[in-house]
Amino acid sequence: MIQKKICMLGGFAVGKTSLVRRFVTNVFSDQYRTTIGVTVERKSLVVDDHDVTLMLWDLYGEDEFQRLRESYLRGSSGYIIVMDGTRQSTLDGALALQQTAARTLGPVPFIAIINKADVRAEWEIDDRSINQLRERGWTVLFGSAKLGQGVDELFTLLATQMLKASPPSGVPS
Amino acid sequence: MSRRPDNPQSDPSSSDRSSSVVEDWTELRTLLLAPEQTQLDELRDRLDGQVVQARDVGRVLPEAFAVRGDHDEPLSTVLAPYVESGFVTAVRKSPRTIVDAIAPIMGPAIRQAIARALQSMTQSFNRSLDESLSVRSLRWRVDAWRTGRSFAEVVLLHTLRYRVEQVFLIHRETGLLLHHVATDAAVVQDEHVLSGMLTAIQNYARDSFGASQDQTLDQFQVGDWTVWVEQGSQAYLAAVIRGTPPTSLREDFRDVLDHIHAKHTDTLARFKGDAAPFKTTQTQLETCLQAHYETPRPDPLKAWILVGLLLLGAIWLGWTTYQNQTRWSMLLTELKATPGLVVTAAKSTWGAYYLEGLRDPLAKDPSELVAEAGFDPTVVKAVWSPYYALNPELVLVRAETMLHPPDTVKLTMEGDTLVATGSASETWVGETRRFAALIPGVSRYRDEKLLTHSVAELLDRINQTVVRFGPGVSTVGPSEQRVLGIVGVALRSLDEAAAHTGQRVVLEVLGSTDSTGPAARNAQLRKERAETVLASIGQHHIGEHTTVITDIVRSAASNGSQTEVGSRRIVTLRAFLTTAGAENETARP
Ligand SMILES: Nc1nc2c(ncn2[C@@H]2O[C@H](COP(=O)(O)OP(=O)(O)O)[C@@H](O)[C@H]2O)c(=O)[nH]1
Ligand SMILES: [Mg+2]
Repeated sequence: MIQKKICMLGGFAVGKTSLVRRFVTNVFSDQYRTTIGVTVERKSLVVDDHDVTLMLWDLYGEDEFQRLRESYLRGSSGYIIVMDGTRQSTLDGALALQQTAARTLGPVPFIAIINKADVRAEWEIDDRSINQLRERGWTVLFGSAKLGQGVDELFTLLATQMLKASPPSGVPS
Repeated sequence: MSRRPDNPQSDPSSSDRSSSVVEDWTELRTLLLAPEQTQLDELRDRLDGQVVQARDVGRVLPEAFAVRGDHDEPLSTVLAPYVESGFVTAVRKSPRTIVDAIAPIMGPAIRQAIARALQSMTQSFNRSLDESLSVRSLRWRVDAWRTGRSFAEVVLLHTLRYRVEQVFLIHRETGLLLHHVATDAAVVQDEHVLSGMLTAIQNYARDSFGASQDQTLDQFQVGDWTVWVEQGSQAYLAAVIRGTPPTSLREDFRDVLDHIHAKHTDTLARFKGDAAPFKTTQTQLETCLQAHYETPRPDPLKAWILVGLLLLGAIWLGWTTYQNQTRWSMLLTELKATPGLVVTAAKSTWGAYYLEGLRDPLAKDPSELVAEAGFDPTVVKAVWSPYYALNPELVLVRAETMLHPPDTVKLTMEGDTLVATGSASETWVGETRRFAALIPGVSRYRDEKLLTHSVAELLDRINQTVVRFGPGVSTVGPSEQRVLGIVGVALRSLDEAAAHTGQRVVLEVLGSTDSTGPAARNAQLRKERAETVLASIGQHHIGEHTTVITDIVRSAASNGSQTEVGSRRIVTLRAFLTTAGAENETARP
């Protein structure tokens, strides 16, 4: 069994906690509860015949506490940047967060997801901005924690990438 | 022998020539090898010369150490004593330098140790304060008083109980669990999540207080549990402890952590999420699962209370037994003293009592005596066989119940002789003479002082009675009083006789006056005199079968035949018998 620490990054109320809950316990709640500090959740899955246990660190999304986040980030094998499609501002926040993460963690795999795909009509983030992100080399997915869309794919993809980045012993790279 | 044609000595004629050849050879060799020769000489010199060699060794020494050190330990083993003695010499020579060098390292360590000591002191102090009001503390106070120790010491002794329930070995940077051990008693949730959260909490605490990386959250409390965190460079230990662990436990954790670090330096440094290699730390971590239980000494206080209770019980039992025994013997004495009761057997065993004896039906009820003595009548089992007692008092009672003597008769016992005195009807006297000797306990009967009277006699005695009065007076004189006493007894007997025959006695009391004085006054006098006589006879002598008539005065006065009687200052009595219910007609002839 291989364990990996993953950080959920993203602005306030973008749906980090919802994504983690959907992934771990397959539930979604409309109620918004501020995550205090950090919540660590665990989910095991099999990737390329390997048992992988993901330790998901769900940080609170207050952007003014950047300094705090660095110590939580440390030791992550990968991270997920969450944006709220209905708020353009969360994309700008995502860019800043990615820079912080890259500075702290170095070039570890990460995946960006634009959440709330179930209300696509209300989206502020347009295709042009998304393409710009992809041009930067980001993997950008769309998903909905509410409907469970793209959630498993998100975590499985990151797990795969992480395994590739640091293969477990006994597996040829 | 082999032939050697090139040997110069083989040809003596050519000895000169051969020596010149040798010289040539030497010259040639010098010519050819001169530079190398010089180098060789230099090398030999260098090998023999100490100074040169030391310089050379000095040049390669660091690399040599590096090469050796990479592979094995003999080098350090060899060097250790020299380093040690060198260090000692250095300390002796210039301690100041050493102090300066280690002060920055020792300072924080010492500070931390002191802080911990203080912390555990305040902890125990707080505990003793907390406990000072509980029931437990009362017991401990007694303990302290008994053993002569200070209360704080006793409290500390009692609280020094702990059990390490879980130990986590956690990778410091990632917060991933490397290994986890737990006792059977431990409640293990998700140890992986807990590891992450523990790490997150530490980060959070550190960040929140703006502390530096090496200032760490060493301990926190959750209900009964204390979580101790022992930090290492790559991994840390978190121990979930129930109770109050001693500070020495931390040293054990420290040792284990150091040992793991030493053994797994590489694995830790290269850790990428595969915790499998850390399975080998199991035994190491298990040594941390220490427990210290207070040996359950028998509670002396409890024993004391028990002894006390037993003693009290024994005293109580003894007291009640003694009391019951006293009461029992008193009851037996009482029973024996009671006429008509004879105790033939008495037993008392463990609160149960047994009585056997004879009882005259007329004797006092023995169960009453039992209750009076303070016994529950149900615990005293008694078997009484009936018998006739010959005690005079009982014989008398028996005689009275059997003979029904009239009130005018008094029965007494003189030895075994029943004696009757007073007066009674002929019938009663006759019957008693026949039956008295048959009463158990009565062997003889005497009635020579008993007056017998017939109804006629009684009537005569009453009817002959004339009570005289002084002029204008209605009081009875002493002699008349005596006469009226006899009349009373006679009336009484008559009443009984009437009762026997189913008749009624009618008594007419007739008052008279002389003809002097006013008529009204005389009527008044007549009435008063009749009443006075009646009072003198006494109401108690008038039985329920007797009717008294006093107001016949008027009718008598109007009757001419009564004139003679009517002119005298007297009261006359007239008694007669009548059939019950018909006295009214008979009373007025
Ligand atoms: N419509 C919609 N709402 C969502 C979705 N995911 C999260 N939300 C809502 O967005 C709010 C914030 O979610 P939360 O997961 O707590 O955000 P966090 O602050 O990033 O952890 C909550 O009210 C959620 O119900 C989604 O996929 N679709
Ligand atoms: Mg949240």
